[in-house]
Amino acid sequence: MPEIVIERLTKRYGETLAVDELSFTVDGGHVTGFLGPNGAGKSTTLRAVLGLIRPTSGRALVLDRPFHRLSDPARTVGASLDAADVHPGRSGRGHLRTLAAAAGIPFSRVDEVLAMVELTPARDRRVKGYSMGMRQRLALAGALLGDPRILLLDEPANGLDPQGMRWLRDILGSLAREGRAVLVSSHVLAEVEQTVDEVVVIGDGRLVAQGPLNDIVGGEERPVRVRTPHPDALRAVLEADGAGVATDDRDEVLLVHHCTLERVGTLAAEHGLAIFELTREAQTLEDRFLELTGEGGNVR
Amino acid sequence: MNVLRSELLKLVSVRTTWFLLGGMLVVEGLYAGLVASLLSEEQLRGRDVSELLVGTPLITVFVFTLGALLSTNEFRHRTADSTFIITPQRERVVAAKLLVGALAGIVFALEFIAINAGLGLSILSNRDVPVDGDTAVDIYTGVAVGMVLACVFGVGLGAVLRNQVVTVVAGLAVFFVLRGVALLLGDAGTYFPAESLAGLQGAVGEDFLLSQVTGGLVFGAYCVVFAIAGMVLTRTREIS
Ligand SMILES: Nc1ncnc2c1ncn2[C@@H]1O[C@H](COP(=O)(O)OP(=O)(O)OP(=O)(O)O)[C@@H](O)[C@H]1O
Ligand SMILES: [Mg+2]
Repeated sequence: MPEIVIERLTKRYGETLAVDELSFTVDGGHVTGFLGPNGAGKSTTLRAVLGLIRPTSGRALVLDRPFHRLSDPARTVGASLDAADVHPGRSGRGHLRTLAAAAGIPFSRVDEVLAMVELTPARDRRVKGYSMGMRQRLALAGALLGDPRILLLDEPANGLDPQGMRWLRDILGSLAREGRAVLVSSHVLAEVEQTVDEVVVIGDGRLVAQGPLNDIVGGEERPVRVRTPHPDALRAVLEADGAGVATDDRDEVLLVHHCTLERVGTLAAEHGLAIFELTREAQTLEDRFLELTGEGGNVR
Repeated sequence: MNVLRSELLKLVSVRTTWFLLGGMLVVEGLYAGLVASLLSEEQLRGRDVSELLVGTPLITVFVFTLGALLSTNEFRHRTADSTFIITPQRERVVAAKLLVGALAGIVFALEFIAINAGLGLSILSNRDVPVDGDTAVDIYTGVAVGMVLACVFGVGLGAVLRNQVVTVVAGLAVFFVLRGVALLLGDAGTYFPAESLAGLQGAVGEDFLLSQVTGGLVFGAYCVVFAIAGMVLTRTREIS
């Protein structure tokens, strides 16, 4: 049984259709990336899952029931929607204690999660003085308080430095390996690519793609990229061989379709044409994302 | 119980709470000290001593603001998200806030009585101005109950309005601006929130006011209405 089931979820704000008949599921044991351009409906979907907003139609279920029916929500779902959602006058530790008290979690657990997110040295300082990255860590600590089997994180990588990103990647990975369901929305696609193994892509509130990262990326054949000082000569040879050749922005680079790496290399050698570089263009998640959601990036 | 503990913790873990408590010490201390020292013996005779005993009208502002912050801080600092994710039965959060508001009101009321009696009454006794014990007890009781209710009123109004500035301004309007309007309305005006609160406090010289008991019941009814409205609205409205 999936941990989260979203069924034809629709949320309308006046004229805006924030989420439109969206359906997908999230399983335990994976880090699932929840991707979509600005205004695609990611945060709205997470809010609906958490029972903060009511769907216009459709539903979002956690462990097969609506969020407010969970017997122990804090120990089931940990969530961070926005790292800025803290009273700036409280210390990080004080903030987490208010959450722990509400959930009946012992204060010792507060210090434990503070250590997990490496905030121990700053735990008694007022949040007002925290950097963006520190607030993100605090938000994650809040989500981890109840040792939940499901984690919902809205843009947890925002404001993290490269060390912080790597740290987040490691921690999310190990949480998923323990069997938990981890759903992270993000814009930082290069980062997501290294963090997630499942992807849900939405655009304009609708599902665009869902599946394992490897299936989503590299779905279609990518061109061979070859750099040569003799682009015109090589181009003629390749075209004579039946390949399709396009030029890159730079004069020296050709993008070759319908042809293997080996064939390009062999042909070049046969014709005595030097080659400086020969690779198959990798498709990044970003490329695929832009393909799926449209380059225009029409923020609604 | 957990929710109550969390709400108490929220109250004591922000400085504003302590600033308000300290602020009231200073303001009421100044008021009691000045009134007790400067009013003539003539003025302080009999029930006119209520001028001193009811304290400054600002004590209502202090407790009302504290109550309003209890509710509206959640929206101002957007902690409502995590609060209601942890406790999806949102009306329980509001109920806990109302209770914490009442507790805070008691603490503020005790502080008020300590300052007013400790400073004001001791100045009077130094000046050999007699104070009727029953009058003092009646007024202190009324003021204390009024402070508890005003804090609860703030929590309820804050839960209804959510916006911090709007709530505090609305409170000031209710306690000060509306009082002027009430005066123009005669008897009907005595049932206004601030008028009924003044009746509860039992000040003298405003004889047209409701009696302490009736005033308490009327102002209490306002508190109940806003408390219930706050719970119902918090339960049904979206958090976004
Ligand atoms: N409370 C609201 N009232 C009105 N419109 C809203 C509300 N919340 C969201 N929307 C609209 O719903 C759409 C989806 O917003 P949402 O915040 O879910 O997008 P998102 O995918 O999280 O975007 P981002 O990547 O920028 O965070 C947007 O058009 C937004 O303007
Ligand atoms: Mg968002």
